[in-house]
Amino acid sequence: MPLLVLLVEDNAGDVRLTREAFREANPAIQLHVACDGVEAMAFLRCEGSHVNAPYPDLILLDLNLPKMDGREVLLHIKEDPVLKRIPTVILTSSEAEADILRSYDLHANCYLCKPVQLDKFESLVRSINDFWLTKAKLPRTRQGA
Amino acid sequence: MLESECAFFDRERSVGFLTIGTCLGLSEALRNSEEKYRMLVEGVENYSIFMLDLQGLVVSWNAGAERLKGYTAGQIVGHDFRCFFLPEDIKRGKPGEWLRIAAVAGRHQEQVLRVRKDGSRFLANVTLTALRDGSGKLQGFSEISQDLTESTESDAKYRGLLEAAPDAMVVVNHRGQIVLLNVQAENQFGYRRDELVGQMIGNIVPEGFAERLVADALRSTEDALAQQIGTGIELSGRRKDGSTFPIELMLSPLGTGDNILVTVAIRDITRRKEAEAVLLQKVQELSRSNEELGQFAYMASHDLQEPLRMVASYTQLLSRRYKGKLDADADEFIAFAVDGANRMQQLIRDLLAYSRVRTEGENLNDTSSEGALNLALQNLRVATEETGAVVTHDALPVVLADETQLVQLFQNLVGNGIKYHGAGIPRVHVSAARDGHGKWLFSVKDNGIGIEPRYFEKIFGVFQRLHKREEFPGNGIGLAICKKIVERHGGDIRVASVLGQGSTFSFALADSGSSS
Repeated sequence: MPLLVLLVEDNAGDVRLTREAFREANPAIQLHVACDGVEAMAFLRCEGSHVNAPYPDLILLDLNLPKMDGREVLLHIKEDPVLKRIPTVILTSSEAEADILRSYDLHANCYLCKPVQLDKFESLVRSINDFWLTKAKLPRTRQGA
Repeated sequence: MLESECAFFDRERSVGFLTIGTCLGLSEALRNSEEKYRMLVEGVENYSIFMLDLQGLVVSWNAGAERLKGYTAGQIVGHDFRCFFLPEDIKRGKPGEWLRIAAVAGRHQEQVLRVRKDGSRFLANVTLTALRDGSGKLQGFSEISQDLTESTESDAKYRGLLEAAPDAMVVVNHRGQIVLLNVQAENQFGYRRDELVGQMIGNIVPEGFAERLVADALRSTEDALAQQIGTGIELSGRRKDGSTFPIELMLSPLGTGDNILVTVAIRDITRRKEAEAVLLQKVQELSRSNEELGQFAYMASHDLQEPLRMVASYTQLLSRRYKGKLDADADEFIAFAVDGANRMQQLIRDLLAYSRVRTEGENLNDTSSEGALNLALQNLRVATEETGAVVTHDALPVVLADETQLVQLFQNLVGNGIKYHGAGIPRVHVSAARDGHGKWLFSVKDNGIGIEPRYFEKIFGVFQRLHKREEFPGNGIGLAICKKIVERHGGDIRVASVLGQGSTFSFALADSGSSS
């Protein structure tokens, strides 16, 4: 079964860039995109149109999202007995110390800043693929709780 | 025959003795000596000397007593000596207390306020002595007092100074009673002089005066005063009408122990406090305005980054994916677009760095400037290796600085020295010397291309450059950041240079607080 990454990102431009970068890094990866916090939670909880959604192997979460913002999504994920197992990596443009601290306080697995230059961004995505999706052992949550 | 030795002390603390013999209804011989004594006592004008019986009733009187207290012998003999005491002292049972102490200890001495016949008060040095007969049985008391407000020459000078002082001056005894004041005190507090003499200092300075501490019995007068002597204390003064105003007190003591007199200078600081309040408000406004500006600069730069990232990234993707697939013009157009976007990104990063000098500035602490330079050199490792530059330095001092910013300062200046090199190997030397005013003058000297004097000011401007981008990279913000950092540390930055030979940048930093 191919690895599934949930990307929670509202900026269409960033979504496309990430998609392109993952395609370069690892074409076998499936990318599902949620463009706000509410949709992200619905997907993770198999609600509404997502009733058959599988659990992702990795969540890439932006902080500044409309409706429900990334910090709240992170809180819900890490409170949930099953969802909290899923490695959740913050991928944001914010370099604020407060955001970094808060994210780790809420048990984010990792905090990454989106580089400004394209080649560095692509390199970062390659690193994510290399570390989280190749080297790291992932919890088996496919079959559900 | 009753005999007693009675000691009295004059102002200069030298001791005199007066032997008193007194006799009630005895022989001629005795009456003779009594006569002599009476004349002696009568003759003493500067001291009030009189006798009391066991109950404290006056049985004798002298000219000095009449002068001091205002009663003639006929008016006072047979009366209770308590009428010489302040009403509040009478209420507290002082007269009886004195008699008891003198009866037990032999004598009681005190510097105290006395009341004249006309009700006015004066400070006196009073000695009450027990008189016993040959068998030791108590027969009565003698009181000797000296008026302390009497003017001697030095006294007159002192009172003159007090009177002429521009501040309100008040003299207070060890119990906190006001014994002397000047006309300014009358004006400032709205009392007449005689209304204030005898009052407790706490009535006009409700809180904070040393007598409070004495009253708490937690320490001696000396200790309490030692805390406040000579220092300006800001307190509240209360006028006769009850209104209050801010004051500053300066205390200076005279004498010690129970004889201590404290001269209190009271300055009305209403105007000063108003000015301070205005200043504080302005500072707060400025601080808030700076804060807002800093936040604005940060947010503007930060929010500009995202759309810029889109432009830069997608033009690069375009360039990458379609290079050679479109015509040569397209390639060139894309190249210009990509370049523009990259430069814009760098500009925004520089602007952010510039605004951060203030918004992310830390407090100044003791910092090793040598340590800061070494960190800067580490950051410049690549540039140093690429150009083969040689950077040297003298021993550098510990200074008062924000370490992060000091590193940035060195990094920019040394980096420039390496970047703007001429033909030979770039050499940069960093040194520091005391300027004789508690500061260290730092110099960063290079052998680079130098700067024309007419540009000495311009180069410190924001986004000001002297060269084309193709000649030397950069946006022209490095020196502007240096200038802002140095200014934040209380100094200014200067340059001396000869075109074609090199430049020396210099700035001053305050010496570390802990060095000699």
